[in-house]
Amino acid sequence: MNDARTAKQDAVILLVEDDDTDAFLTREAFDRCGAQVSIHRVDNGEKCIAFLRRAGHADDAPTPDLVLLDLNLPVMDGREVLRTLDADRALPPVPVVVLSTSRIPADISTAYLLGCSSYVAKPLDIDEFDSIVRDLWTYWFSTVLLPAAPGPAP
Amino acid sequence: MASVPELPGSSPPPLESEVVRSRDVLYAIVESAPIAMIMVDRGGRIILANAETESLFGYQRGELLGAAVEVLVPQRLRGLHPAFRVGYGVTPEARTMGAGRDLFALRKDGSEFPVEIGLNPITTPDGVFVLSAIVNISNRKRLEARVRLVVESAPLAMVMINRRGQIELVNAQAEQLFGYPRAELKGKPIEVLVPDRFRGHHPNVREEYFDRPTSRRMGAGRDLFAVRKDGVEVPVEIGLNPIDTEDGQFVLSAIVDITERKKLEEAQVALNAELSRSNEALERSNVELRQFAYIASHDLQTPLRGIAGCSQILQRKFGSQLGQDGAELIKRIVEGTTRLQSLIDDLLTCSRVESRARPFEPVDMRAVVDDALRLLESSVQDTRASVMVGALPWVLGDRAQLVQLMQNLVGNAIKYHGKAPPQIRINSACNANECTISVADNGIGIEPRHRENVFEIFRRLHTQEAYPGNGIGLAICRRVVNRHGGQIWVEGNEGGGSVFLFTARASAEGAT
Repeated sequence: MNDARTAKQDAVILLVEDDDTDAFLTREAFDRCGAQVSIHRVDNGEKCIAFLRRAGHADDAPTPDLVLLDLNLPVMDGREVLRTLDADRALPPVPVVVLSTSRIPADISTAYLLGCSSYVAKPLDIDEFDSIVRDLWTYWFSTVLLPAAPGPAP
Repeated sequence: MASVPELPGSSPPPLESEVVRSRDVLYAIVESAPIAMIMVDRGGRIILANAETESLFGYQRGELLGAAVEVLVPQRLRGLHPAFRVGYGVTPEARTMGAGRDLFALRKDGSEFPVEIGLNPITTPDGVFVLSAIVNISNRKRLEARVRLVVESAPLAMVMINRRGQIELVNAQAEQLFGYPRAELKGKPIEVLVPDRFRGHHPNVREEYFDRPTSRRMGAGRDLFAVRKDGVEVPVEIGLNPIDTEDGQFVLSAIVDITERKKLEEAQVALNAELSRSNEALERSNVELRQFAYIASHDLQTPLRGIAGCSQILQRKFGSQLGQDGAELIKRIVEGTTRLQSLIDDLLTCSRVESRARPFEPVDMRAVVDDALRLLESSVQDTRASVMVGALPWVLGDRAQLVQLMQNLVGNAIKYHGKAPPQIRINSACNANECTISVADNGIGIEPRHRENVFEIFRRLHTQEAYPGNGIGLAICRRVVNRHGGQIWVEGNEGGGSVFLFTARASAEGAT
C-alpha cells in the first residue's frame, strides 16, 4: 500500500460537487485516510467538462486520475456529464466514480448504463464514509492501473 | 263456281253492343252485381233495386220499388237528404256521395251501417235517373277503429299526417307531449309542432319523404326537436311509417320525448369530464409524489449528512475541549440525524407503493405468505412464534407489494406479543368477487379508540423503548390494500390480541 501511495505522489482527483459541506466532508475523509492527493473541485457538470477540456493545456487544470461525480448538480447534472464523456472522444479517458446520496435503483442503473466506473452511495455516518473513501483510495490508486496522462505528441 | 251457301231464313247474329243494350241483359247484369244498386227517379222514388240490395237492406224488392229512397237513410239524416238529391239533379255527374263525410244507411230492422255510395246519372228517353252503387264498409270501419284504438293506447306519442302534411290523427300521449287538445291539432299542418328555425325547411323534407316513403327514423344522426304549445322545445326521436289506404297515403309518426335521456347523457358527459379531470389531477399528484420521493432521497439527505458529518468531525477534532457534556450533545445530534434519515427512508418506502407499482396479475396468497414468513424467519425463531396458515385464495394483485403487506402484518403480530410466545393464525373467506384475509394474534391488542388511526403514517401507540419503530408499517399496509381496491381494518381478538383483516379482489385464474 505504502509503495503504491508513494508511486502516486501526484494523484489528482476532480471532485464535482455542488454542496460545500459535502465537498468539505469528502476532503476530510481523504485527509483522514492519509491520501496524498490534490483535489480540484468544481460545482457543476459544465465546469467539469470545461476542466477536462483544458486538462493538460492549462496550469490550473492537470489531467485528473479520477473524477468523483455527484449526480444531481445545477446547470449540467451528473448524467449529462457521463453522456458527454462517453460521446466525446477528445476528452481524456478518466474513470468516473459516482458519489451520490441517492440509493434509488433507477439512478444506479442509469449511471452504469452511461458508463460510470463505480457507483458509491454516501452514508450518513462519517466513520462509514471514512472506510468507503479509504477503499476508493486503495482501489483506484494502488490496485488498478490508470491511463497515463497524455503527454506532448511523440 | 262455288258460292257460299246462305242459310235459309237466317239473319246475321246481333253485335255484342246490341246484346248489352238489350234491356234484359242489362237488367241481368245489374241484378247479379255483387254490390247493392238502386235506381232513383227525379222524384226520389226507387224504380230499380237489385238482389244485393234486398240482402243488404233486408227488404223485399216489392217493398222498395216506388218507395222514397229516404227510407234507406237513417232518421237523423233523412231531413237533409232531399235537398242533397235535388242539388245533385242540378249538376249530375259520376262521383262518390258526401266527399269527406261518413255516410250511413238504414236497414229495415232499424240498424245502421257505414256505407260508401257511388252516384251515376243515367240519361234515357224517359228522363234522367240516378243509379247509386252502395258498398257496406263496416269491416273497414271496424279495422280502422281497431287501428285507432291501438294508436290511442300506444305508450308513445303518435301523430298521423296526410299527403298534404295535415294532421289527421293524434293520440292521448301526443296531446300530453305537445300540450294541445287533439281538436286543435286536427287539420293543422304538422309544421306547428316543428320549432321555428326548422319550420321553413320541413315541408320540403316531408315531400321528399312522401316521394320515397320507408319505415325509418327521422333525421338519422341529427338532434331533433319538437315544439310544444307553450313554445318549449323538446328533444325527440321520431319513427316514420308510411301507411297506404284507399283514401290515400298517410304517414304515422311515433315520437319519443328524450329529454330525460338527454339529461342523463349530459350528466354522463359531465361525469366523464369530471372523472378525467380528477384522473389528470391524480396523475399529476403521482408525478409530484415521485419527484418528492426523489427530492427526499437526495436533496434532504445532503444537508442531513452535513449536520451529522460536521458534528462527528467536531467531536473528533475538538472532543477534548468539549468535555463529557459536549460529547453527549454531539451524540444526540448524530442520533437525531440518523432518526431523521430513517423517517425519510420510510416516507420514501411509503411513496413507492404508488411510484413502483406493477400491473396486477393472479397471485397465490399461499406463496405470498410463505415468502413473507421466510423474510421473518429469524424473528419467528427468536420469539418462538407459531404461525398457522389456513387455506388461502388466489387474488389479483402486485405480488411484491402483497409480500410486503403480509410481512408487515405478520411482523407486527410477532413484534407486539405479550408474555406468551406469539400465536398467529392466517385465514381467508371468499365470495365470487372478493376475498377477506385475516391475520389474528394473541398479542397486546389495540384499544378500540386507536383502531382507526393506527393506520396513519408515523402513528405510534408505544414508546421507542417499549417497541422501537417509526409507525410506518401499517401505513404501508393501508396504501397497498387501497391500491388493490380493498379495505383494511383491525378488530379485537377473542381472548386478547388483534385480528387484522383486509379485502382483495378474487382471481378466477389460478382458483381450483
